[in-house]
Amino acid sequence: MARHIAHRLMISLPVLLGVLMIGFLLLQVVPTDPATVSAGPSATKADIAAIRLQMGLDQPIWLQFFKYITRVLQLDLGRSMISNRAVVDEIGFTLGPTVELMFASLIWAAPLGILLGSLAARRHGSWIDRAIMALSVMGVSVPVFWIGLMLIQHVGGAGLLPFQGRDGPLWTLAGLKSIVLPAVTLGSVFVGPVARMTRTSMLETLAADYVRTARAKGLTEWKVTMHHGLRNALIPVVTLIGLQIGFLLGGSVVTETMFAWPGVGRMAVGAITSSDFPLAQGAILILAIGFLSVNLLVDVIYAGLDPRIGSAGG
Amino acid sequence: MSDLTLDLQEGGAPRTNKPAWHRLLKDPAAMAAAIFLLLVVGAALLAPWVAPSDPYASNLRLRLCPIGGPRCPGLLLGTDQTGRDMVSRLLFGLRATLMLGFTAVAIGGGFGATLGLLAAFYRRLDTPIMRFVDVLLSFPPILFGLAIAAVIGTGLNGLVVALCITAIPSIARISRGAAQQVMHQEYMEAGRSLGLGDMRLLWRYLAANTWPVILIYMTLQLGQAILLGAALSFLGLGAQPPTAELGSMAADGRKFLTIAPHVSTLPCGLIFLLVLAFNVLGDALRDALDPQLRQ
Repeated sequence: MARHIAHRLMISLPVLLGVLMIGFLLLQVVPTDPATVSAGPSATKADIAAIRLQMGLDQPIWLQFFKYITRVLQLDLGRSMISNRAVVDEIGFTLGPTVELMFASLIWAAPLGILLGSLAARRHGSWIDRAIMALSVMGVSVPVFWIGLMLIQHVGGAGLLPFQGRDGPLWTLAGLKSIVLPAVTLGSVFVGPVARMTRTSMLETLAADYVRTARAKGLTEWKVTMHHGLRNALIPVVTLIGLQIGFLLGGSVVTETMFAWPGVGRMAVGAITSSDFPLAQGAILILAIGFLSVNLLVDVIYAGLDPRIGSAGG
Repeated sequence: MSDLTLDLQEGGAPRTNKPAWHRLLKDPAAMAAAIFLLLVVGAALLAPWVAPSDPYASNLRLRLCPIGGPRCPGLLLGTDQTGRDMVSRLLFGLRATLMLGFTAVAIGGGFGATLGLLAAFYRRLDTPIMRFVDVLLSFPPILFGLAIAAVIGTGLNGLVVALCITAIPSIARISRGAAQQVMHQEYMEAGRSLGLGDMRLLWRYLAANTWPVILIYMTLQLGQAILLGAALSFLGLGAQPPTAELGSMAADGRKFLTIAPHVSTLPCGLIFLLVLAFNVLGDALRDALDPQLRQ
């Protein structure tokens, strides 16, 4: 167990370093000299040189990188070049909506995927199985923006539901209404993979000896499927759902941009297209760190749930 | 999807493809996908010759002409917001999108496959290479796209680089797995005892017996690369207008969604069919080559 977590942490560290390097690089490509900007328009050359010294811009690049890491650890990510607000504050505003959208997508897509996957496994080989699997391949193949566009065209365009922005927190009616279309869009690409994973896992479990024993004991099919099949099949599925958060993240960048949802993904795209390097750096950093933490968390939980992983050393 | 792991059965990579091909020929979905892909790739290759008109020639009098509209006879699929012929734009868009996908999978996948072979062949390289691959896999693909677009700017170059990098890790894993199976084969030992050099063993023995598996996985990866490329272009981080590329065409058309839905629906539908065909064919190839996985 401890070995498994240590292994995961060892992989996460270089990733984190890579992410920080990208963030640092982004601040290096800023076309304007930070010292000139901070000195103001009336500054003399000597003033700028003094500020350069003060800001540490004359130091070797590795030392600057080290200082950048210290700044990031202190949550100092610089200021947006466009709004002039602290990048940390901007992230603070956008993180909530992104988490909200992911939650709203998972809450319906994961159960539906599990349901479809178990159904396919129960009716293995039948037309239901084939139809569900066909649907799942289609779900993996459809561009998320097409689903969004169709929903905007047919549901949003007809005035049934709002499709521009977030009208309030999730617990208000207006907020709830405004999250429906983005959440349906983002969740729809998730149903297919979950169904597929559940089916595979369920088929494996249903072939296990203890399931045969349960049947031999004379338990009802329902009880066998739910108690012995699904419960055991779910452990890998839940983990895989967690590990697929990156997949969801990709979709959320597109979904947020389409629906003007004020999340981190939309902010990242906006910052990149408007060359707001400090903000882009912050957005990419937070997306990567969020993804890494979720992965790590899921891994640790999985190792806790399934003792075989810990003892096998990962 | 990344959950499509390939495990070869004990015998290593198959050396006779006949039964596998027979199984494939009996799968109607796979055959339909293969025929569709052949047609589409052919059309994309021949785009400059078969396109009815210049995909960049606009005609503002004919803008947003619907499919089969009486305003523009002869224009099979109507026109876009500047009156450009949709058929020609779709053909050229298909060409650009496919080119992006193929380049990414050929370069990134080729690099990944080589890494996997080296990791299986040289035991001491295994750990460092696989750690590197793990690190790459820990990044969600879209983040590569965002980060690279941020560092080197939006455009096709950045997009190709991002797609190449995302293709490396999964193919490296598959190629290592397949190569490890081949490493246990007696002919590898026989080759070594004959005194063959490393290069010869690596390419003539190891690579020659693992490529079918790698190729199948590349087919599946192609679908993913196309999907990611289209998404990044849709976000405005890849191909820039007026370049005819399916993702950016879809984004272009979304401003006219209510009055002329065909401008974005056609490229979206084409991307969907393309990725679907690659996925169906890839799945079927994998099943045909490794019936144990068929459940």
